[in-house]
Amino acid sequence: MTGVRLHPFTLLTIAAVLPALAWILPAPDGAAATLVVALVLTLTPGAKLTPGASPGNASLWSFPGWRPGLVRLRTAVVTAAPFWLFLLLLHDVPTTIAIGLRVTTMVATFVWLVAALDPARLVEAMVAAGWSASVAYLLAATFSAVPVLKARAQRIVEAQRCRGLSPRGGIPARLRALRALALPLVLSALHEVDERALALETRGLVPGIRRTPLAPPPDPAAERAARWALLLVCLVALVRRFIVQPFS
Amino acid sequence: MKSLTLDRASFWYAATQSPALRAVSLDVAQGEVVALVGALGAGASTLLLVAADLAPRVIGGRLEGSMTRRDRSGIVLPTPWTQISGMAFTVWDEVAFGPANLGWPTHEIARQVNRALERLELLPLASRDPATLSGGELQRVIIAAILAMDPGLVLFDEPAAELDAAGAAMLWQLIRVLAREGKAVLLATSAVDALPDVADRVVWLEDGAVRAVGTPDLLADGAACDAGLGTSIATVWRAGGLPAPYPLTVAHAVRGRP
Amino acid sequence: MSIRLLALIPVATAISLALSAAVDAVALPLFLDTTGTILATALAGPGVGIATGIVTSAVNTLRNPTFWPFVVVQIIVALYAWVAARAGLFRSFRTAIPAGLGLGVIASLTSTPISYFVFGCTTTGGIALATALGKALGLPPLGACFFGSFVSDFGDKAATFALVTSVLHGLPRRTAARFPWALRAMGAA
Repeated sequence: MTGVRLHPFTLLTIAAVLPALAWILPAPDGAAATLVVALVLTLTPGAKLTPGASPGNASLWSFPGWRPGLVRLRTAVVTAAPFWLFLLLLHDVPTTIAIGLRVTTMVATFVWLVAALDPARLVEAMVAAGWSASVAYLLAATFSAVPVLKARAQRIVEAQRCRGLSPRGGIPARLRALRALALPLVLSALHEVDERALALETRGLVPGIRRTPLAPPPDPAAERAARWALLLVCLVALVRRFIVQPFS
Repeated sequence: MKSLTLDRASFWYAATQSPALRAVSLDVAQGEVVALVGALGAGASTLLLVAADLAPRVIGGRLEGSMTRRDRSGIVLPTPWTQISGMAFTVWDEVAFGPANLGWPTHEIARQVNRALERLELLPLASRDPATLSGGELQRVIIAAILAMDPGLVLFDEPAAELDAAGAAMLWQLIRVLAREGKAVLLATSAVDALPDVADRVVWLEDGAVRAVGTPDLLADGAACDAGLGTSIATVWRAGGLPAPYPLTVAHAVRGRP
Repeated sequence: MSIRLLALIPVATAISLALSAAVDAVALPLFLDTTGTILATALAGPGVGIATGIVTSAVNTLRNPTFWPFVVVQIIVALYAWVAARAGLFRSFRTAIPAGLGLGVIASLTSTPISYFVFGCTTTGGIALATALGKALGLPPLGACFFGSFVSDFGDKAATFALVTSVLHGLPRRTAARFPWALRAMGAA
């Protein structure tokens, strides 16, 4: 990882404030400005591409320089493009531009956030900040449970394909097929809940513990001040937009 | 000194009529390894959950009789992937999860984690993402994670199921070392061939009740062989029509003594 | 909240997200992305259900950022499922499917204003196409937007309620009894 590593809370604040400003500031100039900032962030070199990427993938994307930034930019554009199409289909040109710029700001900011935010650092930061270990657990455990269950769903689908499942036939037949795929997945997952709970309990994750932060990310005073400043900017923009100049 | 004492303990899971444990009395002393054997569903896993103070406290149900412990316990459950905390993105952090929850100072956490990793031969994997490990590696990580919390009473439910032969051999040796250090160990396993070298006492459970308690010689007993709990060599000896008493291990058979 | 109920939340969230693979395999126009929220509510009550809905939205947001404002819909779904569970509506398909259709109406009523005011009604491909169809049929903008949401939500929520009913009845009674709400949701206690 190269470049400046911001504190996870700073990353989250930026990701919350930019899209908010895109909607608060008057269209289209405000959203255009936020979009420029979001696109610059997206292109920032150094951040990794996906959270929890396996080492094999990481070596591909940790290629130094601009390539990862360009890949992220492409992801943002590909995600935002359909919105522009449908907006144009449903609205006139000024509305399309106004909403399109906002949606694209939001998309680009989140593509950047997903790349820049390391879940492990976020969990550490939450624990260090005195959040309940349970809240940190929810976030982190979900990150690790989703790929496990997705892989299992894929295996069940493949096993059923070998036994003749095909996406043909009437709606009732397909619903029955869906039930045959979904039930084993959900039931097996629920059976594991107990063992997960027992394992957490025996390893000391109980309500009200004071957990030792293992490697809390540094949080310089300047960054803390910057976070408050960003929130203040957001608030001022909101007041200006809806109280001082409601019709501009 | 007794680490764990069960006195006529019976346990019912929620919404069930018949008990999973029936009036089990058992104690495990510090420095002792006690093995639970029995058919599937005989109650060994339930007994471990009761001993770990997880049943009925966490999973519900009803306990009659009493369970008393002197020491903090740690339990290794059968399937490793459900025991991953989900909160750690390296093996080192995964093993440190429990000690951190105990609120220990950082240097003590580091000492215990490094020691546990070394004992389970996991130091080369310390910076790996747990999600990329094999079943056997993950099982060793879970065992290390429990040992890093330094429990006085260690409970194992089928700890060797995911391990290869070398990994299992390492684990059995480690269990003897733990006992020498004064820990009380209670383990449920179907790997009965390992028990003559590992266990001080064997408890044979049947239908939730204690059928017999004794030294590992119990596993060369005719009744145990009938129930499928005899060691391989005792079972072969018996199947070959050779006279009782049956040898417990290959070494016993070679030396010509039961 | 007990550790058991806490451990249910990531699992229920992962169920919602993993079911898309099953839906793709049978090529049906469903999402099933509220399955975990409804299931968690029926098993463990509204707190766990709402938490599951919020976590599901958060994870969805990382995949597609336009999901975040719809966290409101997940919360409404959890509250509705709680009412349905209290009334024991998961006792059979005969009671669960109408309840799911009712949720379809409520969910589209909730998502329409979000979709309309935040995104100009272009949230996902399917909804946007249905909205375009509604517009072509001569509906006013907000009406077309509701039409789009309704068409996509209606069948989905009924199918989700039916699936959750199947799951609850597929659980061994011993397992179901360990969750505080399961038996009541099935009308069995």
